[in-house]
Amino acid sequence: MMSLTKVRLWDVVKQQYRYKLKGYIQVFMSMVVLQVLALIFSLNGVGNAGASGGLLNVNTSYFSADFVLAFTMLWGFITAILITTKAYSNDDFIFVTNRLSSHLSNVLFLVTASILGGLTTILSTFLLKVIVFLFKSDVYLASSADLAAPMTLLVGVSSASLYILLLCSLGYLVGTLIQWSKLFAVLLPAVFVGGLLLNALSGEAGILAVLYAFFMTESSFPLFFLKVVCTSVVLFWGAFGLSNRLEVRP
Amino acid sequence: MVLNLDGTKPIYIQISEWLENEILNGNFESEQKIYSQYQLADIFTINPATAAKGLNLLADEQILYKRRGLGMFVAPDAKDMILAKRKNQTLKRLVEELVLEAWRLKVSKQELIEMIHSINTGEAGE
Amino acid sequence: MTVIECKEVTKILGGTKALDHFSCRIEGDKITGLIGRNGAGKTTLLKLIAGYWRETAGSIEVFSERPFNNLLVSANVIFIQNEMDFPTALNLKELLEVMAGFYQNWDRALAERLFEYFSFSPLQHYKGLSKGMKSTFNMIVGLSARAPLTIFDEPTTGMDAAVREDFYRALLKEYLAHPRSIILSSHHLDEIEDLLEDILLIKQGQELLHLPMSDVKEWAVALEGKVSLVHEWIQNREVLYTKSTGFHQSAAVRNDFTEAELQQLRLEGVRISPVKASDLCIYLTRDSEGGIDDVFNKG
Repeated sequence: MMSLTKVRLWDVVKQQYRYKLKGYIQVFMSMVVLQVLALIFSLNGVGNAGASGGLLNVNTSYFSADFVLAFTMLWGFITAILITTKAYSNDDFIFVTNRLSSHLSNVLFLVTASILGGLTTILSTFLLKVIVFLFKSDVYLASSADLAAPMTLLVGVSSASLYILLLCSLGYLVGTLIQWSKLFAVLLPAVFVGGLLLNALSGEAGILAVLYAFFMTESSFPLFFLKVVCTSVVLFWGAFGLSNRLEVRP
Repeated sequence: MVLNLDGTKPIYIQISEWLENEILNGNFESEQKIYSQYQLADIFTINPATAAKGLNLLADEQILYKRRGLGMFVAPDAKDMILAKRKNQTLKRLVEELVLEAWRLKVSKQELIEMIHSINTGEAGE
Repeated sequence: MTVIECKEVTKILGGTKALDHFSCRIEGDKITGLIGRNGAGKTTLLKLIAGYWRETAGSIEVFSERPFNNLLVSANVIFIQNEMDFPTALNLKELLEVMAGFYQNWDRALAERLFEYFSFSPLQHYKGLSKGMKSTFNMIVGLSARAPLTIFDEPTTGMDAAVREDFYRALLKEYLAHPRSIILSSHHLDEIEDLLEDILLIKQGQELLHLPMSDVKEWAVALEGKVSLVHEWIQNREVLYTKSTGFHQSAAVRNDFTEAELQQLRLEGVRISPVKASDLCIYLTRDSEGGIDDVFNKG
């Protein structure tokens, strides 16, 4: 009689994480595509101001990675939903898995993707500056994000990553809800759009505004970090709780 | 090794007969270890449990004997036993057919015995 | 050692009972054949055993644990299905590497040799393979994993006869060298008869029969002869199948004849012959005594 192999959860999670990095590589390619697209949109600048006096015309354009960040956050959201779908989540079952290990390796993957996304987002500001410098004449660049200030850079990358992670955890929960019941695929967008409309019509600040204030206006980085991580944990935990009884659909 | 798969004779019986032939042909001597169920399984592409059944059949007839932990061995007088068994079986089968045919042709038992006598004495006389 | 134990397992799928108070016990390192018609519940049972699905009622234990959402069961069971959802981004070589990482008993050398023997190319992708080649690759995975419980669900779909023969031979050789519990579900019982130790016959979600192969082969006999004679003999017996043409009748009945009865049969000129396991399974899982002829005989 063959002796049974005893497995440890973390060994399985590590194996799964490793193969997911290789197996889900297409998501990184789509990330690059989206960021390039966002970059192109950013070339017009996110804010323009002009002033003139006498013989001098000054045009001030603000360039930032806002677009790239927004697109990357969206990418994170969609990627997270994607990995909850059958095509991706069923893969685990051919190998060794249970729901918990599947989730943990997915979370590790999303964290990795968020960090990568954050990194490339911040790096894109440099790319943006280079492009603007090369293609526009009579330009004087004043930058607030420089390689000379590594701390700000680190904070920038971390913040971007955290924003992306937040959207990932939201997407993961949404995706799991949809797997749980296909109704949510219709319900959630409806509720979201409906909510927005109601807020717009009534003129009062809706939940989006509250969330915006909660996250985006937080000036203390450690606090921001805490907020995002806690929220993400709650969202991931919710997804895990929901999917624990889910069967492997063919 | 090819087995007769048309279903007329159970596999394990075919295995035991094949082993008997091996012993008769001298491929296995008395007190020699015979093929294990796993070796037989490999040779014939069958489940080892089926092969074991064939081996056990011969063990029950005392053509083979088991040595704990070592496997199945050929009994000292295996060859003779097999020959005797074969003779009995063949002869027995012929007699059965004879009786059956006689019954079909409505030949009475007395007639049949007389027929056997005459042939027997006739042959013995030659 | 009990590998699998099902007690009154019921599974409801889309309103119908795919398994209906199904019970069975599979012990030791045996090769068990799971036989049944399409829709009888074979795949459902296997999915429950492998922990893919949850039972609706009853209890199912694999290695004394509930298989659903269970890491121990997942690590010690390999479930080879017809349709395997391998990750599409990885090529065949990478897939084997991933498998090796998960299954601790994985035999790299065996996998490699089988891979070469069947002329696979490492850079190929699973999706691009023909049905037969997919089944062949599945087989390589199933055998190399050396999982204590190895399940093959209709593994030979699409394989040509030569590859099927290779599969059976490879399966046996692996089993002899490294005994393990194997469940083989197949439509080609006549091809795998001699590989099996036990047969588990399933009909409409219930277990019909669970016996050693040798018993199954001797379970029934076929009688053939004059209508008057055969008709007489099959009275008060369990008749599985019967067919008459003019003066001739043949019938398959439960084999509980005494020596005296067998003698009598021979004297009367009724031919008695064994019923093949595959035929027996067909008779037992059929709903009518005459089979498809009933369709043509009515009207």
